[in-house]
Amino acid sequence: MTTAPARPPLVRSGDRVIAGVCAGLANHLGWPVHMVRIGMVVAALAGGAGVAFYAWLWIMVPTSDENARRNARRPASPIAPSVSAPAAPAGTGSTGTHRTGPYGPGPQETGPQRTGPQGSWWSKAPGMPFGKEILLGAGLLLAAGILIARLLGVDVPLGTLIPVAAILGGAAIAWMQLDETRRAGLVDKTKADQAGGWARLAAGLALVVAGVLVMVSGSGSWEQTWLALLASVAVLGGVALVLLPWGLKFWRDLETERAGRVRATERAEIAAHLHDSVLQTLALIQRRAGNEHDVIRLARAQERELRAWLYRDADKESGTLSEGIKAAAAEVEDALGQAVEVVSVGDCVMTQRHDALVQAAREAMLNAARHGGGTVSVYLEVADDAAEVFVKDRGPGFDPDSVPPDRLGVRESVIGRMNRHGGAAAIISSPDGTEVRLRLPVTAAPAVANHTNGEAKP
Amino acid sequence: MTSPAPETPAAASTAGSPAPTRVVIVDDHAIFRSGLKADLDADIVVAGEAGTVEEAVAVIAAQRPDVVLLDVHLPGGRGGGGREVLAGSAPLLGTTRFLALSVSDAAEDVVSVIRAGARGYVTKTISGVEISAAVRRVAGGDAVFSPRLAGFVLDAFGTAPADIADDELDKLSARELEVMRLIARGYSYKEVAKELFISIKTVETHVSAVLRKLQLSSRHELTRWAAERRLL
Repeated sequence: MTTAPARPPLVRSGDRVIAGVCAGLANHLGWPVHMVRIGMVVAALAGGAGVAFYAWLWIMVPTSDENARRNARRPASPIAPSVSAPAAPAGTGSTGTHRTGPYGPGPQETGPQRTGPQGSWWSKAPGMPFGKEILLGAGLLLAAGILIARLLGVDVPLGTLIPVAAILGGAAIAWMQLDETRRAGLVDKTKADQAGGWARLAAGLALVVAGVLVMVSGSGSWEQTWLALLASVAVLGGVALVLLPWGLKFWRDLETERAGRVRATERAEIAAHLHDSVLQTLALIQRRAGNEHDVIRLARAQERELRAWLYRDADKESGTLSEGIKAAAAEVEDALGQAVEVVSVGDCVMTQRHDALVQAAREAMLNAARHGGGTVSVYLEVADDAAEVFVKDRGPGFDPDSVPPDRLGVRESVIGRMNRHGGAAAIISSPDGTEVRLRLPVTAAPAVANHTNGEAKP
Repeated sequence: MTSPAPETPAAASTAGSPAPTRVVIVDDHAIFRSGLKADLDADIVVAGEAGTVEEAVAVIAAQRPDVVLLDVHLPGGRGGGGREVLAGSAPLLGTTRFLALSVSDAAEDVVSVIRAGARGYVTKTISGVEISAAVRRVAGGDAVFSPRLAGFVLDAFGTAPADIADDELDKLSARELEVMRLIARGYSYKEVAKELFISIKTVETHVSAVLRKLQLSSRHELTRWAAERRLL
C-alpha cells in the first residue's frame, strides 16, 4: 500500500449524482466514473453490498471542500490551540496527503481525517479519538450478529428492530449534518451555504420520518399515513419549540467563543508586535536617556516603524517609486538621526531608471542631513511626463561651483547620475538653505521602452 | 479638567502690548497639554483646556477663544472626535478658529477635519516656535498648510491646473498649484513669496483660497480619495 504512486486524495467530488462518492472514488483510483457507478449499482443489486459500501464511504470520506479547508486551517494552529489540538494526531496524516505521503486507497485511512478536526464536539472525549469508528463498527457487528442469528434459525423481532435502526440512523445523519453545519459556520462559510445546510437537514429529517412512518404503518391506507404524518409533524414542531432555546443558546455560545478567539488572536498579534518594537525601543531610550541624539533617533525610527505598521495597506503592492524614496529617507534618518519628511504626490511602479533617481535622491538627502541640520523636506511628484524629487534643508548653504572636483558626492552621485539616465539635477543654495531638484522625464515611448532603456544602462 | 486662565481678556489687554492670542487646548493627554502650554510663546495665553468632546464644546462656548488647538482623536461624544467638537461649535466658527493637531498623518483624518471647518492641520511633532507661528497665523484668519497637507491637496485635486480662471471649486488655479507645490517642498510662506515674486499676503490669499476649495468642493472623489488613501 505504501508503494502505491501518489494519488489524488480520496474526497467526495463536487460532480455528484447522490453524494459524489463514485466520482471521488473514480478520481482517486484513476478509473472512469461511469465504470465505478455501474459497478456500484451492480454491487447494490448483490444483496445490498454496494449500498452499504456507498453509505460507508459517504459517511467516512470528506468532501473536497472540507478537505481543503482542513488543510488550509492547519497553519493557524499555534494561535488557536483549541481548534487544532484535537486534530494533532490525525493532522500529520492529512497534511501530508497532498505532497509527501502516498495515499493508500483504503478508506480506513480517511477515518482519522474525518474525525480528527471535528472540533470540540469530539474533543470532549479525548480518550476516544476514533469514537465514531468504534460506534459504527459496533453497529455493523450488531447487524451481522442479527443476520447470523436469523440464519441459525433464532427468531429476531425484525419488525421492531428495523424501525429502531432507521430512527437511530436518521438521528445520526441529522447530528452529523448539524456538526458539519456548525463547522461551516466556524470557518466563515457564507450564510447562504449555512441556510442550505439547514434545509438539507430538515429535508433529511422529513424523509427519514416519512419513511419510518410508512414502514411502521405497513400496508395502511394513504389516509392513515397522512394522519400519522400530520401527527408526527406536530410532535416534531413541539420538540423543535422545546429545543429551540437550547439550540439558540448553543449557537450564541459558539459565536461568543469564536469572537473571543478572534479577539484573543488579534490581541496576541498586537502584543507580540508591541513587545518586539515599542517596548524594546522604550527600554533602549531609558538606557540612553543621557544621549539626546540617540533618543531622538530611536524615537524617530520607532515612530516610523509603528506608523508603517498601523497604516499599512495590505492591498498596496510594494515596489513603487514613493516606497523607494521613503525607504531611502528611512535609511538616511537611521544613519544620521535627522528627521526626513517625505511628501509624495502621485506614484508609479519603479523601473531601473527610477532606481537611479532614488539613488540620487538618497545622496541629496544624506548631504542635506549631514550639512543642513534640522528637518529635511523631500517632495516627490510623479506626473504623466516626469518624476520629480525635491530635497530641501535649512542649513547654511554652499556654493555648488566651489565644491572641489574631488568631492564625488554632489557632482557624481547626484548630477552625473541624473544626466546619465536622461534626467537633470539642479542645486539651488542660499544662506537660508539648499534645495536639490531632480527631474527624470518619462521618455516618449511607453513603459516597455523605459524598461529596456534602463536595462541597457548598467 | 477645565481650568480657565485667571486673567480675563479685558485684564490681558491692559498690558500695553497687542492683545495676546487666547487659545483653548483640546487633547485627551494631560502630558501633551502641559507640554504644549509650556512650548507656546508668551503672547499666547491658554484660556482653557479640555479632554473630551463634551468638555471641549462647553469650554469653547464659555471662553470664546481666538484659536482652538484641537486634537483629531478625542474621546467622548458619539465617537466623532475633533470633528464633533467642530460641529458642536459651529456657531462660533466665524470668530473662533480651529487648528487641528494630530499624531496621525492619515489623509482621511486630515481631510475630514479640514472639511469640518478647521483652518489648518499640524502634526504633534511640531516645534514650539512653529506651533506659536501657526497659532498666530490661524488667529489672523489665514490657513496653516503643512507640507503633508499640501501634498494631500495636490494628490486629491490633481496637479493639472484649471483651464479657465473662473471660480471653479474642483480645481486649483495654476498659481495655487505653484504655491501648494512649494509648500509641499518645505518652503515657508516667506520663501514661497520670494520664489514667486509675490507678497506674503498674496501667498496667504492663495492658501486661504485652496483651503476654501478643500472645504467646499463637492467633488465626491475627494472624500473617496481620502478614505482610500490609508497610507501615510
